[in-house]
Amino acid sequence: MIWDALKLSLLVVSVATAIVGAVGLLFSYLLAKTEFRGKELLDAALTLPLVLPPTVTGYYLIVLLGRRGLIGYYIYEVTGWSFAFTWEGAVVAAVVVSLPLMIKASRASIESVGPQYELASYTLGKGRFETFLRVTLPLARRGIVAGLVLAFARALGEFGATLMIAGNIPGKTQTMPLAIYEAVASGNERQAQILALVLTALSIAAVYLTNKMSRTQAHG
Amino acid sequence: MLTIDVRKQFFDKREASFDLELSVEIGSGFTVLTGPSGAGKTTLLKMISGIIRPDRGRIELDRKVFFESELRIDVPIRERQVGFVFQDYALFPHMTATENVCYGIKTGSSAERRDKALEMLALFHIEHIAARMPREMSGGEQQRVALARALASEPAIALLDEPLSAVDVETRGKLLDEVENAQERTGIPFIYVTHNEAEAARLGRQRITMRAGRIVEANVVAS
Repeated sequence: MIWDALKLSLLVVSVATAIVGAVGLLFSYLLAKTEFRGKELLDAALTLPLVLPPTVTGYYLIVLLGRRGLIGYYIYEVTGWSFAFTWEGAVVAAVVVSLPLMIKASRASIESVGPQYELASYTLGKGRFETFLRVTLPLARRGIVAGLVLAFARALGEFGATLMIAGNIPGKTQTMPLAIYEAVASGNERQAQILALVLTALSIAAVYLTNKMSRTQAHG
Repeated sequence: MLTIDVRKQFFDKREASFDLELSVEIGSGFTVLTGPSGAGKTTLLKMISGIIRPDRGRIELDRKVFFESELRIDVPIRERQVGFVFQDYALFPHMTATENVCYGIKTGSSAERRDKALEMLALFHIEHIAARMPREMSGGEQQRVALARALASEPAIALLDEPLSAVDVETRGKLLDEVENAQERTGIPFIYVTHNEAEAARLGRQRITMRAGRIVEANVVAS
């Protein structure tokens, strides 16, 4: 049970963090450096899972992606598959709840990159994408790394929304936080203790890594 | 030849209400653009490079139209091939001098581009700081790297926005020589903005004077 939950958690969290990194950077850039209609609305929608109770977020995910959901219905009709009660469902839950943390941190650091550097890059013949990769991204990396680590940690601890959309199936959708809950509920203290220690160690490692990375970056 | 005929109004609170109306032809060689602060000198440079968009009018460099409001032409900054030396240099803080200069060089293998960058650094006598980061350079050195970077991209014109305002008087004299020298050696037309009368007087072969958004005097040699 411990091993299964750990493996599943690492799978869900690494896939979720990769998605959050890519999607989060795109939205951070759009929010920080461009003007368009509905920008504030988009910002609010992306931030919402940060303040919503995770079970409510999970409820909306079911409404959207469940077998009879607004989008899920069509997915199920075409493929016979649904996000409900799968590890992919757990990934979606982890992405949705951790994305706002990534966006908050990386948007702020992308915003703080002085526009003169980007303008200089344009006058040197570079387009938006190359400028982003070679100028904006390296100059904003500290906030971006911080955002990724926060998102990683939030995804690792995700409980409520995951339970709603993916359920609590040992070996299939039971991530570490769910396993801890079940271990405690069934009086399995030893197991709960080990799982809690593993999660704590992972979280400390994440914090240590961020601190170390931001220090080396400050000098290099 | 650079032809400018533009209007622009600013309603922005920061800029106050400011209206700019310019019509001038600038030949090749060295042109000094002078006038008191707030005259619109920097705004003019930004319109030429595409950073600021005029309300209407036309900007054309060597028969290439950069901006034409009637025809809705507005060439993006990156396609204008305009070298810009910013007031605060805007050197990429995460790159060495060589990497900064290499950044805008468009052709050649990475070794060739590196050689060209070193050549440009040599033109300004700063080969010895090739591996330094901007924060390890003096103001004068940063200024030279910024110039080398702008010229290395082989622009059709170079715009220098008060490039010497942040360096001390002693360095300034030397740098002025180097700037003139660089213009002569590369043959790239320069527009040099300054509000410093002594600088303007010294550099002025072609001279444009602006005041409150208007050109009050243009002494240019059409080529």
